Amino acid sequence: MSVEEQIRDIVANIVHVDKTAITRQGTFKDWKADSLDIVQAMVAVEDAFDIEIPDEEAQKFQNFGDFVDYVESHAAKKEGQ
Amino acid sequence: MSLEGKLALVTGSGRGIGRAIALELASQGSDIIVNFFRRREAAEQTAKEIEATGVQAEVIKANVGDPAKIDEMFDTISSKFGHLDIFISNAASGVGRSIMDLDVKAWNWTMDINVRAFLLSAQRAAKLMEGRSGKIVSISSLGSFLVWPTYAAVGVSKAALEALTRYLAIELAPKGICVNAVAASAVETEALKFYIKEGFMTDTRQATPVGRMVAPEDVANVVAFLCSEEAFMIRGQVIIVDGGTSVAPFVMPKED
Repeated sequence: MSVEEQIRDIVANIVHVDKTAITRQGTFKDWKADSLDIVQAMVAVEDAFDIEIPDEEAQKFQNFGDFVDYVESHAAKKEGQ
Repeated sequence: MSLEGKLALVTGSGRGIGRAIALELASQGSDIIVNFFRRREAAEQTAKEIEATGVQAEVIKANVGDPAKIDEMFDTISSKFGHLDIFISNAASGVGRSIMDLDVKAWNWTMDINVRAFLLSAQRAAKLMEGRSGKIVSISSLGSFLVWPTYAAVGVSKAALEALTRYLAIELAPKGICVNAVAASAVETEALKFYIKEGFMTDTRQATPVGRMVAPEDVANVVAFLCSEEAFMIRGQVIIVDGGTSVAPFVMPKED
């Protein structure tokens, strides 16, 4: 399963929407997620990939695609260590 | 006071109040288990500073909101050390909303991390403290009895934490374990700076009779005292560290 698919599974489970609704252009607002959903999603993804997503970085994400790109690049760095 | 040869677990000790507690206990000779959840780098930095004081540090990742992770953490401590002398329940979280906006998810998130984690951890810690005159300290907040805007879930969780501290203190007293709580007013940490509105720090400083906010080290000093034998007869108490705020809630006129 790709990183993107894994993150999609995690987010879908937390915000209770069908995976197909989570597109790269989609946002937490689109899925009617509240602030706690977002925190839970960040925490779950950090845990799954053993990375850190600083709050100031998370605030820069415009959509799900940005979130995935950030995790992919940082998880890859971690692998390369 | 000396904690030489002791082993302490401080939850949430990568940053803020937990870090200050870990460093203070280390400065008094205790080996420290640094628990963290989200910020490994900060936890490892705290561990380095602990080791620089000449004691040992162990870093363990665990989300205390998850009972399985609490078990894993204590399984690791049990197999690696086989005992524990001090347990500081510091890790906390919470959802800042008015009561009318609190839903089940927000309530459970706050209660699971702030109260259930203390119950489950204290149960495991107490078993590792048998015959060792253990010390358990929970970190509470003035919000357990004062009402602050959007603090309802956390305030109620801290009130429950304090009640649990009293029950544990009595049930564990025959086992030689001291249990107490430390409740602080707003403590000047990075977390606080992130969550509060601009101007709050200045207001709080002005409203604190001693003229400054509570620092993490102020809390750590009291926690360390409660972990010492000098505090033996203090049981099930909540020690307030607030620079006088709770007994003088109105801003005192400044003297010329």
